[in-house]
Amino acid sequence: MRSNSRRSFLRSVGVAGAIGSASLAGCFGIDEGDDEEVGEEVPEIQFVYPTSGANPDRSELGGLIADNMEEIGFEVDRQELDFDPHVDQTVGNHDFDVSLLGWGGTPERIDPHIFLMDMHHSDFTGEGGRNTPGYENPDYDELAEAQAQEVDEEARRDIVFEAQAMLAEDQPRCYIANEGGDHPYNSERLESVNPTLGEGLNGFWNFMLAEPADDVDQVTFGYSSDIISLNPMQDLATPDRQFIRLIYDQLYRFGEEGEPIPWLAEDDPEIDEDGTTFTVQIREGHSFHDGEEVTIDDVLFSYELFAEYSPTYSVYLDPIEEMETDGNEITFHLSEPDATFTRNALAQIYIFPEHIWSEIDDPTQQDDEEYIGSGPFQFQAWEREVEMQLTSFDDHFEPPVMDTLIRVPGDEDALMDQIEAHEIDMLGNDPTPTQADRMDEDPDIGLATFEAIGHAKLAYNMRRDHMDDVHIRRAISYCVPKEAFIEDIRGGMGTVTHSPIAPVLEDWHNPDVMEFTEDLDAAREELEEGEYVWDGDDQLHYPAE
Amino acid sequence: MGLREYVVRRILQLVLTLWALVTLLFVLFRMVPGDPTTRFVMEYPTDAERQARIEELGLNEPLYVQYLEYMGQLLRGEFGDSTHYREPVSQLIFPLFMNTVVLMFTALLIAYTIGILFGAAMGWLRGSRFERGGIVAVLMARSSPEFWVGIILVWLFVFQFGLFPRSGIGGYGGELTMNFVDRYVNFDFLRHLFLPALTGAIVYLATPALLMRNTMLEVLKADFVEMKKAEGLPERTVLYKHAARNSVLPLVTVAAIATGAAMGGSVIIETVFNWPGVGREMVASVSRNDYPVAMAAFLLMGTSVIVMNFVADLAYLYLDPRVKYE
Repeated sequence: MRSNSRRSFLRSVGVAGAIGSASLAGCFGIDEGDDEEVGEEVPEIQFVYPTSGANPDRSELGGLIADNMEEIGFEVDRQELDFDPHVDQTVGNHDFDVSLLGWGGTPERIDPHIFLMDMHHSDFTGEGGRNTPGYENPDYDELAEAQAQEVDEEARRDIVFEAQAMLAEDQPRCYIANEGGDHPYNSERLESVNPTLGEGLNGFWNFMLAEPADDVDQVTFGYSSDIISLNPMQDLATPDRQFIRLIYDQLYRFGEEGEPIPWLAEDDPEIDEDGTTFTVQIREGHSFHDGEEVTIDDVLFSYELFAEYSPTYSVYLDPIEEMETDGNEITFHLSEPDATFTRNALAQIYIFPEHIWSEIDDPTQQDDEEYIGSGPFQFQAWEREVEMQLTSFDDHFEPPVMDTLIRVPGDEDALMDQIEAHEIDMLGNDPTPTQADRMDEDPDIGLATFEAIGHAKLAYNMRRDHMDDVHIRRAISYCVPKEAFIEDIRGGMGTVTHSPIAPVLEDWHNPDVMEFTEDLDAAREELEEGEYVWDGDDQLHYPAE
Repeated sequence: MGLREYVVRRILQLVLTLWALVTLLFVLFRMVPGDPTTRFVMEYPTDAERQARIEELGLNEPLYVQYLEYMGQLLRGEFGDSTHYREPVSQLIFPLFMNTVVLMFTALLIAYTIGILFGAAMGWLRGSRFERGGIVAVLMARSSPEFWVGIILVWLFVFQFGLFPRSGIGGYGGELTMNFVDRYVNFDFLRHLFLPALTGAIVYLATPALLMRNTMLEVLKADFVEMKKAEGLPERTVLYKHAARNSVLPLVTVAAIATGAAMGGSVIIETVFNWPGVGREMVASVSRNDYPVAMAAFLLMGTSVIVMNFVADLAYLYLDPRVKYE
């Protein structure tokens, strides 16, 4: 896969371009030079994509898409931005026509809800909302709401499939690829690793099950940024959650396949017939790292704490009307049926020790410097930008295989070198194709391959008149070289996609939606169908009045 | 004008310069698009959570109010809390600053010791093959980018000879301590220090070497050198005891300013070697719009340069009796 040379690919793009313009000259030769038959020029497309510093692969893809758009007659204003300004300008201020960004996929996002609801429902179109395109379609909203309330899996799947088909036709976004990847590890020091869907070696089940060789007493794990915070009452990024969940337990965990499995809970939740009451029994005899028992009061306390303070999680607890406890049992009464409650609330809220956090006046400040949880790993020490040290919590009902885990943050390239120099044992980042080739040659370094559920995608700003036309959006989607992105730019890492729900999620992914792959002829046909015309310089115009 | 008056006037100038620096930084950082919540936009379920955070940080206030508040804070000697890490800036920056100081001080010490000796020898042996070769070598070192020198050293010492560790400041899993001696005075730390310090030394060596050579050329024309030679003193004694001593003066200024600037750390060396220093944090904090950390880091560096400049001026008084402040 990696042997494909970029040059031959670029050549082929050039050829396709040449054929495209030749065929165009043939078709539209008659109109050439006759500017009176065309209307106003289609506005310049403001295309925002990452700088090569922010994301080299997507930056290169952005350039190719822009080239193709120009090829079919658009004028393109190329705006390459670093991550923060990019997010601020597009997601925050909606100042874009087309924006190339990605969305990370963690097990919390294996359920289709967040992709179908938050990212496309008309309630989320505000500034900073997840519906960046501003897609508003009442028929779609109905589907998105229905899937959230349908407790029967089969029936819910049908709705989820229909929603994906509608999104593909309307193209508020162009889904390009699930990027996937390879995470390197030292196979001499680790008997086995356990990469998980969407997360590779960052996954919970990797830290639980990765098996060190006999003489290895501590495992070092590198990642390209430090933890920001281990306090869910503060803003969190994905790497933070990946370590919080090692130290704290939830009632349910996402299993290796992404399904919620009982964890601190004894069994699956008991759900009443109309889907509004969830009852959970917790394990008895489990304790926090300081030896205090985990009780049902801690569970109730934690749900109240998160509902009041957590910026990321409180929204999942909104449906709760009332909670009551009895013995080792807690019952949640919801205001309406919620098919996502187990995944979003029961499997994501961490159980915090009441005896420590009830003493803390302002939970948004991290006043517990020992980070007492009840999870399989126990916090030991942390110096920012240097390392974080965790040890196995031996009294846990499911302790990890390794004894000590050291998390090392740093510059990505320096960390890759450290893997190659055998100084660290695993890495949660992808090597570049060149680095991967070098690692392939070292018999002591393995690459753990995994599929992604997040994606790279284009968002079209439908708040603007010219982008509110489905023909324009589809034409641009035909300009996206999805195959070349995976095969040539990413050296084979990843999977092309056409839907917000990754193909690897077989239960939810609809394989029969309308597909858009690079095809400039189809793009032109799409524009013709929208009655757009080209002037003598091959620039795209609205039809004459 | 007496010395006291001079010092007082310089201190007032210093305060004024710092105030201008702070104001400039304050305005510049807030002109950059985005704010500290931008990075988390996709993580907030709705915009309400984001707005709440912006209000909590006081970023919804008019700019002049924020400015006055920040200045008030500075006057009380506080840098505020990092918006990204939510901990006091001083607590965050102090260990990083220590790491940077240790690294840069070592690099500069090597660079200036070798540079001065080498530059003196080049001046003394003017026109020789040694001098010509020396100049070429020094200019090459000076024009090599830091990251390139670092990568070459890594390739050589880590991947070819396996002598030194690739990056970081110590072996993993040890005790994380803030005690200066436990932290820095041990074999493992010195092994980690070697490559980044050598990289810095190579890159910084050119300035003292070339400067020293030039002033030597001037000094060597002076009568007293001829006198000393005529006295029959060994050449080495004349060179290092008499000529070099008199050439070292301009280097004091350069060394002082270089030391000041070095306190801001070298972003590149710190990145290449994963050195947890203040330079890397400075860049990261700017890209995160973490205003309090970025302000503090730049302020620290700016203050170091200004203060060290001042120190160099004062040092002249003692080193050269001819200098008078008028």
